[in-house]
Amino acid sequence: MKMTMNSSALHRLLLASRVTAAIFGGYALASGATVFLSAVLPLARAEAVLAATLASFAVYTAAIIWAFAVRSVTRVWWGLMAPAVVLGGVGLLLARGGL
Amino acid sequence: MSKRSSRKPVGQSAGGFRQSMAWLHTWCSLWACWVLFAIFLTGTLGVFDEAITRWMKPGLAPKAELAQMDTDRVGAIRKAQEHLEQVAPRGHFWSVALPGKDDPAIRVFWEDDKEQFKQARLDPSTGKPVGKDGERETEGGHHFVHMHYEFHAGTAGIYLVGAFTMAMLVAMVSGIVIHKRIFKDFFTFRPRKAQRSWLDAHNAVAVLTLPFQLMIAYTGLVIFYIVYMPAGIHANYPSIEAFATEARSQPAHRDQTHIAAPTVRLESLVAQAEQRLGRKAGFVFVEHPGDTSASVRVFGPFDEGEGENFLLMPGGGSMTFDGTNGEILDVYMPRTQRGGGAMITQRTMSVLHTATFGGYAIKWLYFFCGLAGTAMMGSGAILFMVKRRQKALNEFGASTQRVYRWIDVLNTAAIAGLTVACVAYLWANRLVPVGIEQRAKTEIGIFFAIWALSVVHAALRPRLNAWFEQLVVAALLCVCLPLLNWATTGKQFVDYLLAEDWTRAGVEISTVVFGVLLARAAWLVRRKMSESVRRRTVYVPESRPAASAASEVGVL
Repeated sequence: MKMTMNSSALHRLLLASRVTAAIFGGYALASGATVFLSAVLPLARAEAVLAATLASFAVYTAAIIWAFAVRSVTRVWWGLMAPAVVLGGVGLLLARGGL
Repeated sequence: MSKRSSRKPVGQSAGGFRQSMAWLHTWCSLWACWVLFAIFLTGTLGVFDEAITRWMKPGLAPKAELAQMDTDRVGAIRKAQEHLEQVAPRGHFWSVALPGKDDPAIRVFWEDDKEQFKQARLDPSTGKPVGKDGERETEGGHHFVHMHYEFHAGTAGIYLVGAFTMAMLVAMVSGIVIHKRIFKDFFTFRPRKAQRSWLDAHNAVAVLTLPFQLMIAYTGLVIFYIVYMPAGIHANYPSIEAFATEARSQPAHRDQTHIAAPTVRLESLVAQAEQRLGRKAGFVFVEHPGDTSASVRVFGPFDEGEGENFLLMPGGGSMTFDGTNGEILDVYMPRTQRGGGAMITQRTMSVLHTATFGGYAIKWLYFFCGLAGTAMMGSGAILFMVKRRQKALNEFGASTQRVYRWIDVLNTAAIAGLTVACVAYLWANRLVPVGIEQRAKTEIGIFFAIWALSVVHAALRPRLNAWFEQLVVAALLCVCLPLLNWATTGKQFVDYLLAEDWTRAGVEISTVVFGVLLARAAWLVRRKMSESVRRRTVYVPESRPAASAASEVGVL
């Protein structure tokens, strides 16, 4: 518990970066996973989209937890954004209509 | 757990995963707890929104009487349509709530040409707007529900509540990780040991009601899935409406054409729908009235009779018509379910969240679990500072003392202050003059004003004095509620009990019980005040030896 904000500016910056990654990177990953699962779940289109969306909040929670469990902040950013982009990209390619 | 980790960045400690989660649990919970406390307290009160509304509308006839009252609904819809054609011949929508158990009047809602939401109540016999005199215009218990999911702030509020709900999920998962002895804590309570007692209380309420708390947070997010996670929908559909049409197997949304066309008489549609659905119509929705794209949907009441609230397959059914010629577009029979497994899951989760199944037994269960959740937030918030009063941790460098002071102020205002505001809202209902303009908004304004004042008060007064004074005010307002009611309406809970008006009696008696508990809390604070006169409370700097409990506990 006692490892909180210490005086070093670098530490604070890293913490801010980690929190940003958890909130926005985590949301990006949850969105990417939703888009991917919407496209690949073997269900009717609306059902697949809805099932993927219902699961997204669990993905988001897990992503945030993971962002605080990993040692390096760089790894947090990569670990969230790379799968977010890949899953989202593949999901968009396979999507059944839409934007 | 390692004691010497204060100079290590997050996640780089010997404690590893559990240590990181302890950090996350503390800080995520701290920044989220004040808003979450408000979401939980208002949501818990919102379980009984209907009962509170009845208490706040003392003139409203008993539910059973209203349910049996057989108003001329066909006449009512005709009068509603006449009114709406006058005030908004063309607009985005009209809707009409027919007289029923919640209100003997006709309620009409529409959007004017400036897209402002408007509403009026009409007398079912004359069709004229009901005068404001004699009617205690109020948002009633819905105020708490609105607070709970949007803070009266529309879409921005829905996002705000969603973000804090995610924080709650994160706090709960990290809390479970750091918790070593889940089963043992069921049975652990060490009273009057300051920090230990707060920790035990926090653990006990959280662990005992853990499944409920996880369920209520997750299902809350699921209700607004379209707002919170639209990525999958946008990737696969041109619009949200297109998705909704397909997912719910309902007639496609018809875009406004801006070509004028008279809207069909609604009374024949209501009569048709009542016959087909086999129940009284409750609600009529007209989209794009006066346009060639107009459509009319007539809904059966959600819960017509006792024991009709089901977890699976809720809903009173509906029938959809073309608004220009009355052609039937869709029939959705009551107690049937549309869509596949995912849709049914979503709907069931919504019902699971709103406690609209299983009647009063479920409502009371949700009420107590909700109170436990509220206590979890409150005890956690207090525990954070109890621990730091034993031994300051200097997390905020030179500003630590100032930040601690603000956390104390916000704790007081978020817990005691909000409680005062909630009961003051009931007082406002009886004290704001009947018949004034914007009466319902005035009541809500008083709620927010009192809450804001509690922050100012907590900032100006020493910590324990602030707690004591706010708790005393809350206790007095709660305990004296029947007196206020008696002075203003001539009735109180004894009259309600004699009249077998259980809902109103229940609201008043529950409030008095809360008052007694709040008085007890105030008394405990008072005792603490006399103790701390002897040893003045200051935040002990870090150089002093840690209190033994702090190191034993290790986390939090």
